[in-house]
Amino acid sequence: MTAVATRTVRRVVLSAPVVAVGGALALTTLVMLVVGVDPSLAYPALVRGAIADGNLEYTIAAFVPTLGMALAFALPLRAGEFNLGGDGQLAAGGVAAAALALSAPLPPVLAVLLPLAAATLAGGLVAALAAPLSTRLGIPAIVSTLLISAPAVSLASYLVRFPLGEQGTGLAQTPPLPAAAHLPALTEGGYVTLGLPLIVALTGLWLYADGRTVLGYELRATGRNREFARYGGVRVNRLAAFALAGGGGFAGLVGGLIVLGPPYRFVDGALTAPGYTFTAVAAVLLAAARPFAVPVAVALLTLLQVGGQGMEREAGVPSQLTQIVQGLIIVIVAVFATVRARRRRA
Amino acid sequence: MTEPPAAFAAELVGVSKRFGPVLANDGIDLAVARGEVHAVVGENGAGKSTLMSILYGLHRPDAGHVLRAGRRVRLRSPADAIRHGLGMVHQRFRLFPGLTVAENIVIGAEPVRGGRLDHTAAHRAVTALADRYGLRADPSALVGDLPVGVRQRVEILRALYRQAEVLILDEPTAVLTPGEADRLFEVLRTVAATGVAILLVTHKLTEVLAASDQVTVLRQGRVTGRFTTAGTDAGELVHAMIGRSLTPPAPRRARPPEGDPALDVRDLTVRDADGVARLSGVSFTVRPGEIVGIAGVAGSGQRELIDSVTGLRGGTDGVLLDGTPVRPGRDPRVAYIPEDRHGRATAPDMSLAENLLMGGQRTLATRFGLPRAAVRSRGRELVERFAINTASVDLPIAALSGGNAQKAVLARELTRPSRVIVAEEPTQGVDVGVRERVHALLIAARDQGAAVLLQSSELAELRELADRILVLFEGRTVAEFGPDAAEAELGQAMTGVRG
Ligand SMILES: Nc1ncnc2c1ncn2[C@@H]1O[C@H](COP(=O)(O)OP(=O)(O)OP(=O)(O)O)[C@@H](O)[C@H]1O
Ligand SMILES: [Mg+2]
Repeated sequence: MTAVATRTVRRVVLSAPVVAVGGALALTTLVMLVVGVDPSLAYPALVRGAIADGNLEYTIAAFVPTLGMALAFALPLRAGEFNLGGDGQLAAGGVAAAALALSAPLPPVLAVLLPLAAATLAGGLVAALAAPLSTRLGIPAIVSTLLISAPAVSLASYLVRFPLGEQGTGLAQTPPLPAAAHLPALTEGGYVTLGLPLIVALTGLWLYADGRTVLGYELRATGRNREFARYGGVRVNRLAAFALAGGGGFAGLVGGLIVLGPPYRFVDGALTAPGYTFTAVAAVLLAAARPFAVPVAVALLTLLQVGGQGMEREAGVPSQLTQIVQGLIIVIVAVFATVRARRRRA
Repeated sequence: MTEPPAAFAAELVGVSKRFGPVLANDGIDLAVARGEVHAVVGENGAGKSTLMSILYGLHRPDAGHVLRAGRRVRLRSPADAIRHGLGMVHQRFRLFPGLTVAENIVIGAEPVRGGRLDHTAAHRAVTALADRYGLRADPSALVGDLPVGVRQRVEILRALYRQAEVLILDEPTAVLTPGEADRLFEVLRTVAATGVAILLVTHKLTEVLAASDQVTVLRQGRVTGRFTTAGTDAGELVHAMIGRSLTPPAPRRARPPEGDPALDVRDLTVRDADGVARLSGVSFTVRPGEIVGIAGVAGSGQRELIDSVTGLRGGTDGVLLDGTPVRPGRDPRVAYIPEDRHGRATAPDMSLAENLLMGGQRTLATRFGLPRAAVRSRGRELVERFAINTASVDLPIAALSGGNAQKAVLARELTRPSRVIVAEEPTQGVDVGVRERVHALLIAARDQGAAVLLQSSELAELRELADRILVLFEGRTVAEFGPDAAEAELGQAMTGVRG
């Protein structure tokens, strides 16, 4: 009994995510010491920056889009498709939501729902463009999604500057959206909106679908061994396209949620600049094919990021340091995966 | 005497290995002498692969140790094993298809000149090696273009190039045609004659009797018999392996099959991407209650035929199931046991339960999805019914022994409600006892009215099971035989010699 317990403990302690986070923190501490920052000041500042002094609201506000983008990456990944085009899908979703909200006055509830639906659709369409490129032309999704992303971001940027742009200000942003289209806020600051319960519910739905539905089973089989799934009668190409579109839908929805939240307009660059896409990819890789770990990993990286800004304010440590931590985590996870694959092959 | 007595080339002493609840090796002693071909046989899951993996440094034993030329060695990895003169030929080849034979052989220990691979030296070394052991292989051929038998030879040459003095082969003939297998055994003889010790894991007792000097039998992780090949026979080996004798095959049923064909292949022509006909004008029928065998040397059109019949090649009017054309994708009316276990028949890192589910996921689904409990309990039921040896249905199927994974594939496919069964090499890698059971299952399915299409490279299997045998040669059916056809006759038709 105790032997089993020790083995379990060992397996958890030595698992890739734990080693990665631990190793990254150790290395960061080392860097702090080398550059002359006192870790005993920096780390508390980081924690305070993330959760204390009213900062928790910002952290949650960043958690929502990051978790959404994590789903955008994780869903296709289960089917073996890498969706690296999150930025393009995000921007497309944001533009679609803004355009719809600005174009026609809508009745109260619909004024929120329809733009969000349009955003989801737009993101899904942009992602689905990659599917035929991979099934027909053999360009892997990891490349095609990335290729499509840049023009999608540019197109969104063009639309926001010109056809949808706020007249006369010269700023690259849309006019403010009508009040009916504002996402209901859950906190006083207004930063935590209905987007939080929505994304949390969608995450729950995804987890359920992944583990306990026919669709989830077929997606996983497609990801693990495509030929096996095909042999079993699964329409793998359609499913892969569906997975990509679904991922893009999540990304588009996130775009919509950002635009319908404060400052209630599409500000060019505001969607992609915070780097939600990259953080989300890192979190999913850190979760290492354990779907239930995805929200946890997202929370961890969001805390690090928001906390990093606090650390910069308080302890004078550049917030880039937290980006180093994040980068180190990814490197360690990748090294782990490679070593393990190598060992299995040897 | 100061010299120790002539030591064995390699010795495993009291080796034990446990995987969770399974004691895969339980105090095994095994010694192989220089120049000896030593066969290791036993039921599926007896622990053969585990033992060989320990000798090659892939697993570390929980107890016991390895002696190499009389000296104790510590093998922490295959690299250690290679350093100590141990070589292994894997069943799934670890060659680079895009590199030449010579490059594949020297990789990891390349002759270098000026910081680059010295191609001429590599060619010379490989040619010399090939000549020395009488293993023909063109050093400049791309490995990807070579048939399996030759690729395997490249693997053997690679081990010999690294000066292996003990060569381990785990089920090397499972992927070979009978002709290729015969050539392999000639090669092993030549190699052994130079003093290399050879360990050969196989399920085919004819191979054991023909090719080995010594035999060790394992059962449930223990040695249950040690024989000198010349002094034993198949019956004695089977008894040591499964603790009983095989029942003689059931007498062939006299009554002819009746009714309309369940599978009707009509003038089927299949072209590859370059427009070359891989299958030309093939026609035959399989009626309910009939087993039709397909014989042929590898690459005669078997792959195209089977992929057409199952629908995996797309829909075609040339294949009718119960009178209607086969549906594209995978026609659910066909149960299909593929030969490529890792590539097609299973997803190695999904659980056994999920592997057993494929194809039946929609029937288990409820309004609320696919309950895990139902998936597991269906898995357990099949494990029970087909006597699959596993600690749990939650293990990845890759953790099962090769034969037990094959049993899982059979369990899944034979329990589908399909009237047509396509079986490709259904007994590859299964032990003699399971082979008997698989044959009994196919016969039972036939007797219950299934139409069975059986592709096998083992002529004995075809003759034992099939009611009719069709011979494919260069994409055409060139001959049809009854079950009592002589192997020589079949062999001639397979190579295109007209009878
Ligand atoms: N990595 C592993 N994890 C868990 N169990 C394992 C693992 N490898 C082997 N086993 C178990 O150990 C036992 C022996 O397996 P092994 O592969 O050595 O059998 P084998 O004699 O080679 O059988 P086969 O003839 O079917 O290939 C089996 O019960 C198998 O399920
Ligand atoms: Mg084995």
